[in-house]
Amino acid sequence: MEDVQVVAMLVRRCIAGDSAAWEEIVQNYNRKIYNICYRFAGSADDAQDLTQEVFIKMYRTLSSYDPSKGAFVTWVATITRNLLVDHFRKTKQDRLTDSMDTTASEHEDAQPLSEQIPDQSAPPDARVRQREVSETVHQALGKLSPELREAVILRDLQDMDYREIATVLKVPEGTVKSRINRGRAELARLLQRTYRQVM
Amino acid sequence: MPDHTRNGMQCNEFDTLLSDALDGILGGAVLDRFQAHARICKTCGPLLAEAEAGRTWLKGLTEVEPPASMVANILASTTGVDTQRLWTPARAPQPRVSWWEQVQASYLEPIWAVVRQPRFAMSFGMAFFAISVTLTALGIKPGEVATLVAHPATIRHTYYNTQARVIRYFDNSRSVLELNAMVRAIRRTPPAEPGPAQPKERKNDTTQQPEQKQERNYSQTGNQLILADNPLGPSVNDLPVVSVTTYRRFV
Repeated sequence: MEDVQVVAMLVRRCIAGDSAAWEEIVQNYNRKIYNICYRFAGSADDAQDLTQEVFIKMYRTLSSYDPSKGAFVTWVATITRNLLVDHFRKTKQDRLTDSMDTTASEHEDAQPLSEQIPDQSAPPDARVRQREVSETVHQALGKLSPELREAVILRDLQDMDYREIATVLKVPEGTVKSRINRGRAELARLLQRTYRQVM
Repeated sequence: MPDHTRNGMQCNEFDTLLSDALDGILGGAVLDRFQAHARICKTCGPLLAEAEAGRTWLKGLTEVEPPASMVANILASTTGVDTQRLWTPARAPQPRVSWWEQVQASYLEPIWAVVRQPRFAMSFGMAFFAISVTLTALGIKPGEVATLVAHPATIRHTYYNTQARVIRYFDNSRSVLELNAMVRAIRRTPPAEPGPAQPKERKNDTTQQPEQKQERNYSQTGNQLILADNPLGPSVNDLPVVSVTTYRRFV
């Protein structure tokens, strides 16, 4: 995505006070950051607020970016991940990995998530079906534990390599791979009952 | 994960290689051992299938589009610059309007809309009345207002003119009062009579009498003071005329 020299030049221009360079950075990275936030937080409103916070923090700490320590996108992802973890702790959404058959609320008679998902047997339209599938996978992703969720988001949705993910998450590469495998498997188990015919 | 050995590969090693296998970077003998382990191991086989399925689900997720206003919000919150062109990149061309229509739409219409409200109409009426009365009292004609606004020095002239007019009015009033007093004095003068004129006994003359403490109740003799109700009492012409001259100047 990024040419190291081009990004380094952009950053230098930003630090020098060039607002056009900053606007270019925002234009280049807002989509990526928003998607990470959206997949992690699960809400479009939260994602928008978090994305804005990420850029505010970037703007304030841009001078601390050192190109020799890693790619700019890794630095951006690290800031994003740290803010997401902070947000997760603040909102006390400590949702551990659980089955979709477990009730989403504290009420025992509440409807399980697998029953809340609409029936896919007779989709009226392929685009509608695709949207519903995406929504279902998005909901299942939100049921993963934060450690597994952030690992699979960075790997499978952001296409980051294991070394970058290890840098962002501050864990060894082996741990990153293990988390990704467990996250993928857990997600498949969550979706298995709903989409048994697809599996 | 249980640490079992199947086909020369332990489950921990299988777990480590699982990501690489799904990425398609395993090859040769390692890939053969990996696949053989997946076929035999009852734990790792399903894990491979689930991980592959989960990866497929995740790859099926498409990128979501950020809100259109997000970039503008970010720029406004960081640099403080509200980039309007990011909000509306392509604005439809507006029809050309004349300057009078712009003034009418921008200023006159809102003001007229406020004036038309009944609660403000009465207020404006009262304000107009108050201003009119003030201008009249000051001797300012409506036609002179524009001149006064344009040339503030004329306000001083208007002030002195008004002051002189008031002084002349009171001087004229004084002359009229003095003339009236003279006419009354002429009427009061009695015609010449033969015989010694006896001094008229003054009822209230106490100059020849020692001063006495008056303890009368004036309320009992109050009817003597009300001349209009007592036809037998002294007439208006009998009362002494006192001429009062006011020298007060209005400055």
